[in-house]
Amino acid sequence: MSTDRAATPPSLTSRRTLPPETVRKKDVNRRRMARLGWYFSTPALLVVAAVTIFPVVFSLVMSFSNVQVLGSGFQLSGLTLGNFHTVFGSVKWRYALGFTVLYTVVTVTVEVVLGTMIALVLEHLRALRGWMMALLLIPWSLITVISAQLWNYIYDPTYGAADAIFSAVGLGHPVILGSNASAVIAMMVADIWKTTPFVAIIVLAGLVMLPGDVYEAAEVDGSNGWQTFWRITLPLLRPTIALAVLFRILQAFGLFDLPFVLTQGGPGYATTSLAVLGYQAMFTNLSFGPGAAVAVTTAALVVIGCILFLRVFRAQVNEGEES
Amino acid sequence: MRNVHVHRHPGRSLRPASLRAAALAAVAMTAVVLGGCSSSPGSSNATSSSAATVAAPGTANSGNITWWASPITSSGADPRTVLVTAFEKAYPDIKVKLISAPTDTDTNRATLTTQISGGAGPDVYMGDVIWPAQFAAHQLADPLSKYLPASYFGTFAPGLVAGATYKGQVYGAPFFEDQGFLYYRKDLLAKNNMKVPTTWEELMTDSRTIQSKGEAQYGYVFQGASYEGATCNFMEFLTDAGGAVLNKDSTSSAVNSAAALKALKFEQELVTSGVSPKAESTYQELQSMNEFSAGKSVFLRNWDYGYSTSQAAGSAVVGKVGVAPMPTFGGESTPGYSNIGGWNLYVNPHSQNVAADLTFIKWMTGNDAQKILATQFSEIPTNQAVRTSADVIKSNAVLAVVPQTKLVPRPAQTPFYPQVSTAIYTNVSAVLAGSKTPATALKDADSAINSALSGGGL
Repeated sequence: MSTDRAATPPSLTSRRTLPPETVRKKDVNRRRMARLGWYFSTPALLVVAAVTIFPVVFSLVMSFSNVQVLGSGFQLSGLTLGNFHTVFGSVKWRYALGFTVLYTVVTVTVEVVLGTMIALVLEHLRALRGWMMALLLIPWSLITVISAQLWNYIYDPTYGAADAIFSAVGLGHPVILGSNASAVIAMMVADIWKTTPFVAIIVLAGLVMLPGDVYEAAEVDGSNGWQTFWRITLPLLRPTIALAVLFRILQAFGLFDLPFVLTQGGPGYATTSLAVLGYQAMFTNLSFGPGAAVAVTTAALVVIGCILFLRVFRAQVNEGEES
Repeated sequence: MRNVHVHRHPGRSLRPASLRAAALAAVAMTAVVLGGCSSSPGSSNATSSSAATVAAPGTANSGNITWWASPITSSGADPRTVLVTAFEKAYPDIKVKLISAPTDTDTNRATLTTQISGGAGPDVYMGDVIWPAQFAAHQLADPLSKYLPASYFGTFAPGLVAGATYKGQVYGAPFFEDQGFLYYRKDLLAKNNMKVPTTWEELMTDSRTIQSKGEAQYGYVFQGASYEGATCNFMEFLTDAGGAVLNKDSTSSAVNSAAALKALKFEQELVTSGVSPKAESTYQELQSMNEFSAGKSVFLRNWDYGYSTSQAAGSAVVGKVGVAPMPTFGGESTPGYSNIGGWNLYVNPHSQNVAADLTFIKWMTGNDAQKILATQFSEIPTNQAVRTSADVIKSNAVLAVVPQTKLVPRPAQTPFYPQVSTAIYTNVSAVLAGSKTPATALKDADSAINSALSGGGL
């Protein structure tokens, strides 16, 4: 892969001039083909609708109804805010919300900082870059349930690698998944290990696309590496980083598989995320109303979070452009 | 420029009309398939016969049924296929198709629930002993007492049918039982001239003595992680101390009591004194079993497979393990309580072949099947005659102890049992992790249980 920033712009494609009647006929044909295209994609779209839109709408409806799960099917009755009342009044929900928000903020921040640093290093690697990227992608490509199980072995208080390391450096035998703070931190570490490469790859893609002439100008003006990074690279990378952050917020807020495998939400309910709480409400307690309310609230919160983030981000970009 | 391609070779391309027809056909087919998925729950209303007084025949000689069961053992021959083969030999015209259910009990329940409420699912399913109230309240199981006489339910060991009963109807046929046992190191006790402890206090002092000599790292390993197993262990301490989780009619919490405080303080002390590992708040059966099999602990609380697992290849304690009833607190009548686990057989309300289902269930809980389960697979039979028969008792060390034990069920007589249990195990595990005091934990569990019982919990 070449990192030549001063790539020549793609040559303009020459337009052929056609007689007017041909154009009209072509337009009709094109419209007909477009319609046919819609027909052919309809089955796929219907499937997408069935597996995404229908469940989303059904969850919304359930969250505002009294839901009875019976052998004869789901019975929904009444329009109620009771489910949300249950959710907001629950100590466990408030705790899960706090945990999920903290988890999201910490992991996303660390991943973006680390990921950007890794991308900057990768950009300067020439021959080794392909190999390094392949290595980096291993954690990201592992299914979380499997990588979580690997972390489970590492954190095991009896024969885990982490225990061996801690005792070797004289820190005794902390029970990593057995106390609230360390279990939360252990979960964050597992997430950061897995998702930092994803951020690094996205940021690297952004880095490669940056225009070379700006850097040449900076060099001419005598800017040092540090200044170049803060004044040029980072501002230009903003849209890319924003994209990475958005993806990560959406994923981190839906945290489920790590606690499900590592702690089942424990000790106590220290690592019960909103998704785990919703799952337990629905599939263990069969309380689909409150469970759906947890899901809907979580979705609403993450959408609001993303919108706020984009607002702030856009304001910053505009400021940057004005100054 | 790609879309012109078709028109360049009119002879070979399909005509737009036939293309359109093909597209429409595809749309129609997708709609039909998707419609089929979503319409079954609604249409099943018509076929459900829960309220009707159908007197289905108790036996059938032919038919096809599906049996949903999670793996019973993890190695050797599969008891499920052994039993199905034996059943089909006895009833050649009834064909049983085994569906292997998820091993995780919660995933198992989630899968079953969605299938049954969707109007489908297996005819007969093997489900946890703590499911009857919840499944009855949600009409996910057909009451068996609607079809089978009281004399049938009289064949089971005492207490088991009561556990499968909700509001006067029996929902599950006890298939095999499980319970807590105290496993101990015969060699270490003999070396120190100790008898098997019958009280918790004795277990604690014995452990400390053996630990102080460096003969074992831990005294007692049990289950204290944030999951159902922590509820089972707590039930044993709690009942020994004279406490209960719910009041008599399961309408309110009784867990914030002096007896419960004594039980939970003792559990905490096990960990803080070093008799049990610091990591107890992460221990499920596997972790505690591993410690014991590695020779690191004097005592272990586990289910009935604990004995055979400790004697399997790779274990450091082969030939050194004994099994006994659970201890109790000093001053209480011995032995202590063992919590009941195990599995029942349930009938799906949507089953089209109830007579064959019942034939299958009666055979599986009868002499032949129960004897196979006990003698070949070391499972505790539910059938009282088989359970007390001499050849079953002498077949295995654990089965010999069963008649001496005292049983306590979990407070599963409420459809809100999952939330009740969550309230218990999250708080017990928090105490073991050191993040809550026993008094706070009981207060929190008490209010969580009460809000669960009023239907308002999460």
